[in-house]
Parts: sequence; C-alpha cells; structure tokens
Amino acid sequence: MSYVSLENSESFLKCFEVIAEDKSCIVSDSVLYFSGKTGKGFITAAGINTGIEVLALNVSMLTDDLTIRFQPSTDASSYILHFDEIEIPAKGDSDLPVTSMSGVEKGHSAVSIADAGRGKTIVYPRERVIRSLIVRVRKSSLDDLIKDFDAGTIGAILDSPEGPASLTWPITFKYRLLLNDFMTEIVQHPFRELFTIRNVSMLMEYLLQQFFVMQKLAGEGNGLSSQDTRSLSRVEQHLCSQYKKEFPGIEKLSRISAMSPTSLKTKFKRYYGETLFGYYQKNKLEHARKLLDSKIPVKVVATEIGYSNPSHFTLAFKKEYGFSPWHYLNPH
Amino acid sequence: MKFQDPEQEQPMKALQVLSLPVGLRAAVLKATVDRQDIPLPDFHEEGYVISFINFKGDVRIATGHRPGDKEQPASPGLGLISAAGKRMSFRTGASVSFAALVLFVPKGWVPHFLGANTPFRKLEQELEEGANIITCRLGRRQLSQLSSALNTAGERSSGSNTAGEEPLSLLDLQNSALALLEYFLCNRHRSLLGVSPTSDIENEDDLSLIREVESYISEYYCSDTFTVDSILKKTYTSYHRLNFLFKSIHGMTISEYIRNKRIEKSKEMIADNVKSISQIAYEIGYSSISNYILAFKKVYQITPGKYKKQIDSLA
Repeated sequence: MSYVSLENSESFLKCFEVIAEDKSCIVSDSVLYFSGKTGKGFITAAGINTGIEVLALNVSMLTDDLTIRFQPSTDASSYILHFDEIEIPAKGDSDLPVTSMSGVEKGHSAVSIADAGRGKTIVYPRERVIRSLIVRVRKSSLDDLIKDFDAGTIGAILDSPEGPASLTWPITFKYRLLLNDFMTEIVQHPFRELFTIRNVSMLMEYLLQQFFVMQKLAGEGNGLSSQDTRSLSRVEQHLCSQYKKEFPGIEKLSRISAMSPTSLKTKFKRYYGETLFGYYQKNKLEHARKLLDSKIPVKVVATEIGYSNPSHFTLAFKKEYGFSPWHYLNPH
Repeated sequence: MKFQDPEQEQPMKALQVLSLPVGLRAAVLKATVDRQDIPLPDFHEEGYVISFINFKGDVRIATGHRPGDKEQPASPGLGLISAAGKRMSFRTGASVSFAALVLFVPKGWVPHFLGANTPFRKLEQELEEGANIITCRLGRRQLSQLSSALNTAGERSSGSNTAGEEPLSLLDLQNSALALLEYFLCNRHRSLLGVSPTSDIENEDDLSLIREVESYISEYYCSDTFTVDSILKKTYTSYHRLNFLFKSIHGMTISEYIRNKRIEKSKEMIADNVKSISQIAYEIGYSSISNYILAFKKVYQITPGKYKKQIDSLA
C-alpha cells in the first residue's frame, strides 16, 4: 500500500518521490507514469509556487490502494479542494460513499472543500477508474476569487469549531465532462500551467455555483441518509448514461432507486439542485455542445443525441442557452 | 477599481480595469465611434497586453497615436499581443461599433504560468526583436465566447450589480479570458510548428479576393447600375462565399458594406452643402429618395434632413 504524507508547506511534487520509490514508476517532466505492473495512467502536478497547486490523477487498475494524507498543521492558511470521479470499471457504475471513519475517507465520487489545517486523508481504492484533481489553494487566493461572492459563508462554515471538517457535494455531469477533457489533454498540452489554471478556475466556478444553489435549497443539512445518497447517485449515473436515448421515465428511475416516484423527485432535487428531467436535459445538451464544438453539423448532432427532429433540438438548445445552435456556430 | 485614462479625452465609457483573481488584469473597451482612435489602456507596468477585438465596420490597427503611423487592417475576432507600454491604437472608420477585451499579463506572471514553454519564449523573442504586434485570429467558438464575455461585462459596468448570479461574473470573465489566452497561445504555437492555424480565413487568396472586391466597390459604388451581382460576375465567386468572407473581415454583409460606403459619402456631400438631398440620393446611386432616407437613418440614427439642419445651425 502506497502511503504519501504531505506537510502543509510541502510541494505536491513530493508525492512523486514517494510513489516512484515505492512502485516502479517513471517520472518525466513533472508527470509520473505508472508502469503496467502497478496500474495504468499518470499523476501530474502543476502550479508549483503560484498559490494554487494542483495534483491531477488519472489512473486505472491500481494494484494497491493509494493513500495521500495531508498533515494537520497549526499555521495552515489554505483550503484543499477535491474533484474525484471514481468508477468501477466493468459495470461503469459509480463507487458509492463508504461511511467515513475518523476523518479517513474511502474514495468516492464527490466534490469537496476542506480546511487544510485540520488535515485530510484520501484513499484511492485499487481496481477502479479514477479521475481526480486535488487543488490546494491559499486562503487569500480563494478569498480573492470569491470576494464578490458570498465569500464569508464557506470560510465561516469551515472555520467554526463545531462545524463539519469539510463540505461535500455530489459530482455532476459538468465536473465529469471537464475532468474527462482535462485528463485527455493535460499531458501533451503545450501550455500546461495555463491550461491547468483555466480548468481549475472553471471548476471553482462550478463549485461556487453548486454551493450557491445547494445553500439556497438545503439550509441546514439536506436530511438524506447515506442510503438515499447512494440510490440518488445511481439514478444520476443512469440519467447521464442515457443522453443518447429518450428520458428513461420516472417509473424506471424509481425502480432503480427503490424509492417512490414522489420521494425520488423531491430527494433528487434536494441533492442535485435540479429536477430529474432538467438534469437529464442539461447533460444531453452539454454533450450536444461538445459535438458542435468538434464541427459536426447540427442535423447530425440532433440525431446523435436522440432527437428525431432537428428543430426540436434547436428549440431545446435555445431554451437552455438562449441562442440557437446555428447562432452558437456563427456568432457574427 | 475604476480609472480614467489621462490621455483619453474622447467621450468614451469610463474604463474599468478589473483585477482577475488569478493575477491578470482585464479591461473591457466598448464604444460606438466615428473616425476615431481608440488607444489601448496603459497599465503602467511591465508585461504583455493581449487584446481580443470584435467590431462592425472598418478598423485598422495603428502602432502609434499619430496619423502617420504604420497601419494594418484588422478583422473581427482578432487577437493581438504586444509588449505593454508600446503605443498602439485602433483606428476606426465611420460609425463603427467596437468592443475589445484587453488582458494585461504582468511580467511576474509569465514565469509561473508560461515561462517554461519554448513556444512562449519564441513569442517573447519575436516581440523583443521589433515585432510590434503579433496577431492571431480566433475561431468561431472563441469569437462567440468573446462576444458573450463582452456582453456580460457590459451589463456589469452599467451598474446592475444586484444580488443573484451576478457575483460570479468576475470568475466568469476570468474563465473566458483564460480560455481565450490559451487558444491564442496554442494557435500561435501551432502556426510556429508549421501547422496551419485553425481559423476560418487566413488564406492569402481569400484576402486578396476581398481586397480586390473592396477596391472595385470603392470605384463603382456611386453608379446606379452597380449591383452585388456585377461583383460576383467579375470575381467568379458565389454570393454566400463572398458574404461569409466579408462578415469575417468587416463583421457585416457585403450589401451593408456598400450601403455604409454610400451613406458615408452622402454625409460628406451634405456637409459640403452644395446639393439638395434628393440630388445627393440620386448621385450616390439611390433611385428612390425614401430608400435613401431609410438607409441614412439606419446608419446614423437620424434623417438626412435633420442632419442637414444640425450642420446649418452649427455654421
């Protein structure tokens, strides 16, 4: 079992030394490649010395659990953000939250923000497909980033001694798409640092948006049991995978979640801040947008994501983004 | 943070320089102007200035503030990088609506985020060796991102800073800025490697075609037998192709371009105060005076008669 422990001030590159020593890995140009024996994929670090430090993991089929531990420290003045997506490969199903015991979190797909001062341990389980970004950002930088925003709230929640050690949200399709893109491009990108900082900045925006919505919806706690969240993320997974087909229908979804349709609807909204159909539709159109970006004609995109009639697609697109696909392609 | 550029006396919207959290600074220029120089804002610091421009009309880039300076044509969706402190301005034609996102990259930022890259070093070298500006055209995707960023930034500065999703706009602007910057540098990088940059019009043939058409238009636009069809016959292009090229260079269709030329000319003729308006309309190739009045109103938001009165009252 690989075990990395980082002091508050230590650079993420330290990770590499430890992992590389432990396993037969290859380090080149601040990218660590796992060799075939120990797993597939890479880990890379970026943003050293810039106030925002990023560790990106894109690995699958590790033969061992990988543990990264941030030491608690008193002079801490940074936050640790996580964007983890962990899948069980064969079934394509998400690994579900395992109740965290004494601050040790067994990895699961989630987005979270925590005060680095309290320390944090993350375990990346073996034999999974893992896409994860760990961002360490100085408190002052984050405050800068969100000073316009309802900034105090996140800080206040994390700072209050009786509050939770970290704030956690479910991962949504937005993060997933971004993480996917990020991981495919990061290694050969000519401007790696710039690329990283852009993506982190976008992730921050998503995170703040999500925080904003959830804060409004939930108030104090969302009152969902861990079994509920497990079912809900199963539903979410299913919804996302269905973007090429029609909306699965509430009966099917309620069967998957083992909840009644009504409670599924309310709970989904409480957990994801979005109605079932709204979530499905947004994911679908986001896929459509990516297809349009790769210069695929509108008609083809429409059929590709399961619209039999291109004008229905145009209408839906316009409703979501405020402009038609054609205008999206021809901004003049 | 707001400040007014001291050298800038034109009646333009107060420049708002926003500090982006990531360490860049951004300013949004927005104006509807008539034959004016729009200078780049001065950031009073060493670094690089990268501007992304979008406009409708005729704009040239001048490397200096005086009339005799070197000029080069611009096109909507152009990105340009120059060393900060170099004088540079956008010289506009008649009634141009112009918008730009100006990014300032401080020198200290470069080693952190760009320094390790050979492509950027090459760019720096080129700039040091006397190239005043280096340009790169944005793709359609980026252009739409630019215009939406400029729009939201405009709303922001117009004072509607209330609660809601508004507070995220700074982060939003930062995201657009970083994305554009990344695209710009990557595209430059690609063209340095010898791969043709991914843009819609970069082709010499297309550019020379446009120049040819422009000169043809400026020669014949006053004749009443002049039509777009005659251009097509002369240049052997399709209407759609020509329109597409015109849009990407001037941000307007070919007929709009011709109309603007004619109306501009007529405005000068009105100011000369020799001929009557109906005479002018006929001379610049309009067969009906009401068509001419409508066209004039579209370009200058005033009827030619009222314009004439204004001029008379000034004299």
